Amino acid sequence: MRERPFIKHYPPGVPAEIAQLQHRTIPDLLRAATEGNENNIAFTQCNWNGMNGSLRFGQVDHLSDAFAVYLREVVGLEPGDRVAVQLPNCLSYPVVVFGVLKAGCVLVNTNPLYTPTEMAHQFSDSGARAVVIIDMFADRLTEVLPKTDIQTVITARVGEFFPPIVAGIIRIVQRYWDRSLPPITVPHTRLGTALEEGRHRLETKEKDQRLAQYIEGVDHDSVAALQYTGGTTGVSKGATLSHGNLLSNTEQMLAMAGKHIRPGKEVILTALPLYHIFAFTVSLLGFYYTGSRNILIPAPRPPSNLKRAFENYRVTWLPGVNTLFNALLNERWFVEHPPRHLFASVAGGMALHESVAKRWEEVTGSPVVEGYGLSESSPVLSFNPLGGMVKPGSIGIPVPSTEMRCVDEDDNPVDIDEPGEIVARGPQIMLGYWQRPEETEQTLTGGWLHTGDIGKMDEDGYFHIVDRKKDMILVSGFNVYPNEVEEVIAEHPGVKEAAVIGVPDPASGEIVQAYVVRSNPDLTKEEVISHCRKSLARYKIPKHVKWRDELPKSLIGKILRKDLRSEILGEEASSGSAAPKSSAAP
Amino acid sequence: MDMSLLPTLVGMTLPEIDPDEFVKTSETILLVLMAFFIMLGMGASTTPRDFFSALKRPAGLIIGWVTQFGIMPLLAFLMVYVLLVPMTDLPQAVIWSVAVSALLMGSIPGGTTSNIFTYFSKGNLALSVMMTTNSTIWAVVMTPLALYLYGELLLAGWIMGIDTRTVQDLQIPLANIMVTIGLMLVPVFLAMTIRRYNANIGAVLELVGGILGILFIVYLIVTWVPRNWGILAAMSWQVYFITICLGLFGISIAYNIAKMIRLHPKNARTVGLETGIQNGPLAITIVLVSYRDSAYLAHVLIVPALYTLFIVFVSLFVTLYFRRANLAEEQKIPSLL
Repeated sequence: MRERPFIKHYPPGVPAEIAQLQHRTIPDLLRAATEGNENNIAFTQCNWNGMNGSLRFGQVDHLSDAFAVYLREVVGLEPGDRVAVQLPNCLSYPVVVFGVLKAGCVLVNTNPLYTPTEMAHQFSDSGARAVVIIDMFADRLTEVLPKTDIQTVITARVGEFFPPIVAGIIRIVQRYWDRSLPPITVPHTRLGTALEEGRHRLETKEKDQRLAQYIEGVDHDSVAALQYTGGTTGVSKGATLSHGNLLSNTEQMLAMAGKHIRPGKEVILTALPLYHIFAFTVSLLGFYYTGSRNILIPAPRPPSNLKRAFENYRVTWLPGVNTLFNALLNERWFVEHPPRHLFASVAGGMALHESVAKRWEEVTGSPVVEGYGLSESSPVLSFNPLGGMVKPGSIGIPVPSTEMRCVDEDDNPVDIDEPGEIVARGPQIMLGYWQRPEETEQTLTGGWLHTGDIGKMDEDGYFHIVDRKKDMILVSGFNVYPNEVEEVIAEHPGVKEAAVIGVPDPASGEIVQAYVVRSNPDLTKEEVISHCRKSLARYKIPKHVKWRDELPKSLIGKILRKDLRSEILGEEASSGSAAPKSSAAP
Repeated sequence: MDMSLLPTLVGMTLPEIDPDEFVKTSETILLVLMAFFIMLGMGASTTPRDFFSALKRPAGLIIGWVTQFGIMPLLAFLMVYVLLVPMTDLPQAVIWSVAVSALLMGSIPGGTTSNIFTYFSKGNLALSVMMTTNSTIWAVVMTPLALYLYGELLLAGWIMGIDTRTVQDLQIPLANIMVTIGLMLVPVFLAMTIRRYNANIGAVLELVGGILGILFIVYLIVTWVPRNWGILAAMSWQVYFITICLGLFGISIAYNIAKMIRLHPKNARTVGLETGIQNGPLAITIVLVSYRDSAYLAHVLIVPALYTLFIVFVSLFVTLYFRRANLAEEQKIPSLL
């Protein structure tokens, strides 16, 4: 194993390697977490108006047992069958997901906001045989189901497991005020009915034996979840995560947090969607395992929807993304009364801006530590160590049992502080992409996960993200990283935001082109370019500057450079000059 | 002056008013009960922190006090002076009676109605409750003081002899004031306590309170239109103007002042509504108690009665505007992941 300079920065008590996994499967881990914790609250769903419902560890365990029985004995699923779960953060989520895993089936996490086209792709690609969906969106299935192998539809309500009167009120409001309950045209079973049936069957026969039987053949290498991701190439594909991957990453994350997570005492607020791997592993598995109370927020937008949850519960941990931290800091109620019991926040998913991190720590009086990971790595690869050296702007040091380095085009490690593609190795790295051997081969070359991110490792072994590899621009043989150029442009007071891409050029291969949204309408292109001259090498300075009213963005607000690139390619194609396929194209 | 001169003001005889019948006891009880449960619901939307916040940054409370007792009485006085005093073709005593009630309307504090509209306008309910409490307590001193000052000012400019029953005769019913404050604070603190122990009951109370609040507004409109029918049909435009614009101008001026001194938009909306929405029922009670045996009871009641009706429409209109403003201010963020 190559030298790991970061080990010396592990805070006391954090091991270099995680111990042999204590559990064979995720269901084993769940059961261990429940033991002795039966009467403690595991999950509380808090709606925007403060209406809430809770499940205790014991209840979650029983209900998910019942759901496992239903899937295996009523629906007739086999071990390894895929079950799509399309739920927002709600009490049904842990019940259903734990049930799927206890049944020995494979979880296919699905974004509830997906369009029918996206749903159809994900369901058919994964070969899902059943779907559990929130009733608000189940009308989309009419269009989706014929394109898939799904035979079983189970619907859940937003107020599932709430006190009956509150659930009734929520239902009435949804039906008559929000009108958010469309008619469902496909045959379906209510989650409540499914659980009742499962429970009924459990009562009649040997319970533990049958549940053990479901996961008899399941071990570390068995697939637990397909986590769909755009990854480094365009089309969405399933990162195949095994029980061992997820168990390892849970242990790695907890090892890194060390004594800072007090078993049975933490209250974690989950505003991030659980279908995303970050919240799934860190928030759901990690904090369930430590006996924490998990406050689930079904709809975190607008951010004022979090007000009641912060008022009513003593939140101690908050996983978030830059967008969330920044949004909360712009809410007056939050800034005036920041959560008093907050111990730490963890950031991932996207770059945490240093200014946001700094202000967060000022306002809440507690640290926010940034980490890094991908769906392909279950997801955690690195973190800034709590109680150790935290480097702002850095994604931290690799978690225990993880090797991480930056490599050049030929997979040779580059020097300290030199940019190269981040590659990683460890027990949390996926088995591969679901039924895509070619992409798997490309991504897992030589046993290392190729992240597609360009990063640098400093002399302490801390990693820093430079840019996405596919966004890198090659100007006459020199690498230009759009992030760097964008940051310089954005420093100009007349600029609101900027995006930089490479466009094909006969002379230098590619040239730098900037798209700028102005805050000062009088700003000229020459001013932008001369501003860049002050801090950038010549080859990095944009050749062309184009004004935009807004930049194309993804659902989560990331600027989509690929959309700008395809615009250029489209223009050239339509103007007749057959554009050479740029290496930068997605 | 006697009642025979009345038609010249209103075109027809004002209906006879029986002080015991004008607001029936059963109705009072119903309204008190509604107000109690509405405030219970509103209270469930707050936490003690909200109240500490308002105390920690007293700008809202202070500016609210200034607009309440500085601007509203002045506004009433100016409108009376410009619109009513020149009406020389009318019996002076009649005009004087209307003028007195307009001044009273301007000098009275805010009430529960302002809390309800603040809630629906997505304002700062804790601030609203504290402003109402504050202004209601201060009213014991400030309302008679403002009435006395502006009354004297008005009297000084008056030409002809008038009924000597002057503003000083108005009695501020202390018991009523205590009830007003109690009816607001008790349910609010009760609701905060309930919510602390069971957030679900709190949320349900809030929802029920909101629905009751809407019913309350509808009730006011439905019952006050027929009650005022005789007056509505006959009143001169000046009286319409005063009873509509006292609230409307009060809200707008206070809101803009609050915005100018850069209060948070939620607080600015609260200050606006709190200032412009006066405690109509309290004014009516004061009139019914003070003018019980007067021949001018009906006249003095005109402004409070009409104000109480029109302020509901004015506030509804303002609330819709404020809600849109709130929606526009709401942070728009992309999906988190």
